[in-house]
Amino acid sequence: MTSVLSILVSPLLWLALFSGIYGLQGLSCELDLDTTTFAGISAARALLGAAWLAAIALQATLLAALHAGRFSPEGAFVRWISRATGWTGLVATIWTLFPVAVTSTCG
Amino acid sequence: MNTLARHRRLTRIWSSEPGWKGWFSTVNHNDVGRMFLVTSFFYFVVAGVLAMLIRAQLATPHSAFVGPEIYNQLFTMHGTIMMFLFAIPTFEGLAIYLLPKMLGTRDLAYPRLTAYGYWCYFFGGGMLVFSMLAGIAPDGGWFMYPPLTSKLYSPGINTDFWLIGITFVEISAICAAVEFTVSILKYRAPGMSLSKMPIFAWYALVTSLMILTGFPPLILGSVLLELERAFGFPFFQVDLGGDSLLWQHLFWLFGHPEVYIIFLPAAGVISTILPVMSSTTLLGYRWVVAAAVGLAFLSFGLWVHHMFTTGIPHMGLAFFSAASTLVAVPTGIQVFAWIGTIWKGKPQLKLPMLHILGFFLTFVIGGLTGVMVAVVPFDWQVHDTAFVTAHLHYVLFGGFVFPILAGIYYWLPLMTGRKRFFRLGEIAFALIFVGFHVTFLAMHWVGLLGQRRRISTYAPEDGWTTINLISSVGGFILAFGLALVLVEVALQVVTRHRTKRNFWNSGSLEWAMMMPPPAYTFASLPQVKDRDPLWHERLLPVQIARGEGYLGDPVGDRRESMTVEIATGAPDFHLIYPTNTRLPIFFSAVTGLFFLSMLVKLYWFAPIALVGMAAVAWRWVWVLGQKEDLGPQPVGRGLQLSNAAEVDRSPGWWGSLFLLVANATFFGSLLFGFAFLWTVAPGWPPPVFIEPSLLAVAIGVGSGVLAAIGTFAAIRSNRRGASPTFGLLLALAGALGVAATFVFTILRMPNPTEHAYGATMLVMGSYGLFHAIVVLLMVSFLFARMRAGFLSAARRAEPAIVNLWALYLAAITTLILVAINLPGLVA
Repeated sequence: MTSVLSILVSPLLWLALFSGIYGLQGLSCELDLDTTTFAGISAARALLGAAWLAAIALQATLLAALHAGRFSPEGAFVRWISRATGWTGLVATIWTLFPVAVTSTCG
Repeated sequence: MNTLARHRRLTRIWSSEPGWKGWFSTVNHNDVGRMFLVTSFFYFVVAGVLAMLIRAQLATPHSAFVGPEIYNQLFTMHGTIMMFLFAIPTFEGLAIYLLPKMLGTRDLAYPRLTAYGYWCYFFGGGMLVFSMLAGIAPDGGWFMYPPLTSKLYSPGINTDFWLIGITFVEISAICAAVEFTVSILKYRAPGMSLSKMPIFAWYALVTSLMILTGFPPLILGSVLLELERAFGFPFFQVDLGGDSLLWQHLFWLFGHPEVYIIFLPAAGVISTILPVMSSTTLLGYRWVVAAAVGLAFLSFGLWVHHMFTTGIPHMGLAFFSAASTLVAVPTGIQVFAWIGTIWKGKPQLKLPMLHILGFFLTFVIGGLTGVMVAVVPFDWQVHDTAFVTAHLHYVLFGGFVFPILAGIYYWLPLMTGRKRFFRLGEIAFALIFVGFHVTFLAMHWVGLLGQRRRISTYAPEDGWTTINLISSVGGFILAFGLALVLVEVALQVVTRHRTKRNFWNSGSLEWAMMMPPPAYTFASLPQVKDRDPLWHERLLPVQIARGEGYLGDPVGDRRESMTVEIATGAPDFHLIYPTNTRLPIFFSAVTGLFFLSMLVKLYWFAPIALVGMAAVAWRWVWVLGQKEDLGPQPVGRGLQLSNAAEVDRSPGWWGSLFLLVANATFFGSLLFGFAFLWTVAPGWPPPVFIEPSLLAVAIGVGSGVLAAIGTFAAIRSNRRGASPTFGLLLALAGALGVAATFVFTILRMPNPTEHAYGATMLVMGSYGLFHAIVVLLMVSFLFARMRAGFLSAARRAEPAIVNLWALYLAAITTLILVAINLPGLVA
């Protein structure tokens, strides 16, 4: 079962992060955080940007763990697939959440 | 024992009852798989006829062929049948029939569940067909958006048929998904590690996990909408704190992954057939597996792209637009792997290959228009036009029907033991290919000219007449082609033109048996050393037939098989399957009574039906197991394995685990719905909160934990050979405490018809109460089993299963009580 989990863990994490940050965006609009600004950046964007960077850091850490000897899954095939899905999770986190940096938050 | 004697003995053990009576008691995957396929293709024909009626109506302007009321039923039922009664059940039927053969085992994990799933599909589909014949079919579109489908705008029973019938049918999909997941992970030939698994099994595994997590949101949505229609709980009524957008979220949380749930098995068919047609192996096996996994996950991040025009903020749109473009990458990897496979092999243009080429062109066009509608401004222009209808048909017909037709022609010699004689298939393919593209290329065009979806007629001055006529002519050509396929299949079944073994010279195990396959599938289970065993061990079919593999010597009348360790494929434990029984059809009939009582509003009967279901479920489990320790069982080749009843992680444990995954997704969707209504719906916060009770939280959480601890204690005592009575009593007290807490909480709730808050709280409380009752029943069952002598230190599988459910109860009790009490505390 650990082999299946190691294959699924990165995409699962992406799904959780993607849903979480989408929810956070809804919450920040509900709380009008886009109208409060610090140094020209709205609180909503700062919050979402920080969450995005944290998400990338989490995925990168997980990918590093999948590559590291200690946490690397057993068996060449499962190891390869796990790393491939690890990269999928990282790229998906960067690509699908990059709108936090470039589009209007609540408009 | 010689080969013939073994064949006769195994056939007697594994066969279903002779004659038509056997249909009702068979649990054999060969039979149930064929029953699924025949039924699903019957529905394909029905939905096809509906499509013809739609095209007849749209062929000319101001058509008086059918009125708008009937037309609404036609397009609703066309989409509903194609999605729920054809595409998914076809995957189920194909996988039920093929997976044990490909995996080198004798049957799926839960043969009775296979049959139960079929009968739920049969009865649930029957409800929908009845509604159509009675002229009261669902008419709100296949995605049933409220408020159109709310009681106010759809007061008749039509919508209820959809909500209740489809939920009934979805039981079948969930059963199949649990079955496939456990079978693929555990029920393989010894030596078949994950890296040696047939590619179709990988796709089926990914699809099954998607069904387990994709279907529950729709089941929840259907339950909520039916509760609104039946009892006035305002989940989707804006004036009472509901929001119709909640339905769209729940529906598309299912609906977009559904597209991939349909496509991925078809991709598995392509990945299986294409290398054989090209006389080579699949290029980039590992890449294809990783792409399938990636595609499955990304497909869960696309659901809002069906809601681009609902006024969601730009950032939300951009998230889902980005995800929608990203999903093209893993799809592209698979397409390039297939092209590379053709490139490195020696492709032969046989009939299955024609359909694969048809798939390539059609699906790639559908994918490209998919990228177009992933771009928000373009989607705003074409939303709800015939362009989107054309796009989805390119994806679904291209991505499912062409591969399935390839699969039919590829596996028909295996299923029938006969080969094609009349050669109608090539003509059929030409008609299908031309007919499809004439129909749906034209539909893109008329969509871009502004023709909306689901309109029953149009005026000549709209300028759509010629295009619609061309589209309708194409539709009828397509229908002729498909009819010709069915004629050819029927001819192949009845003509006596025997075919040779391993007709296509494939390397996978389903061709290692006589054709059509015997009831027992494998005379002995092979030791697998390669991903394409038949290419590397030419004598393997002979060795299997001679009983030189595992379990080659039948013991008594036992239907025996064995499982393997997930990653390595090392032999794990021995098991004995249940035999022919009418329990599955009886259980599904009782399940049907519950749904029927909801449909015809005999609400007083629903609890009786539920009690009936619990009684049959009790009987279902009671007939398993044994009253004496079996000890290590010889499985051949000098190996002995523990029996499934004498291990911690038995088939029942694995099945429960994955059923709980689906259950947890259902619960997660409910929590999402609560959070969505709270943050997005107008009319929140509600006028009155439930008065928080920390005592209730403490008792409820404590009881849940007690139930879990009790089952742990029972496991420990049982394993030591001591009586598990004390642990079971603790578990019983815990489950009773949880049930009492939820009853107390429900009684204090505000009126659920006055605000969506009260309605949501009631559903949450009822969900918790239901699970407390389930655990109560399970613990009582363990008591009864203990007293009847089914438990011993060795026979320890059953307490571990109950423990899993008790742990789940403890977790959801905590979450539900926090969700119910926290808002009042904060306020």
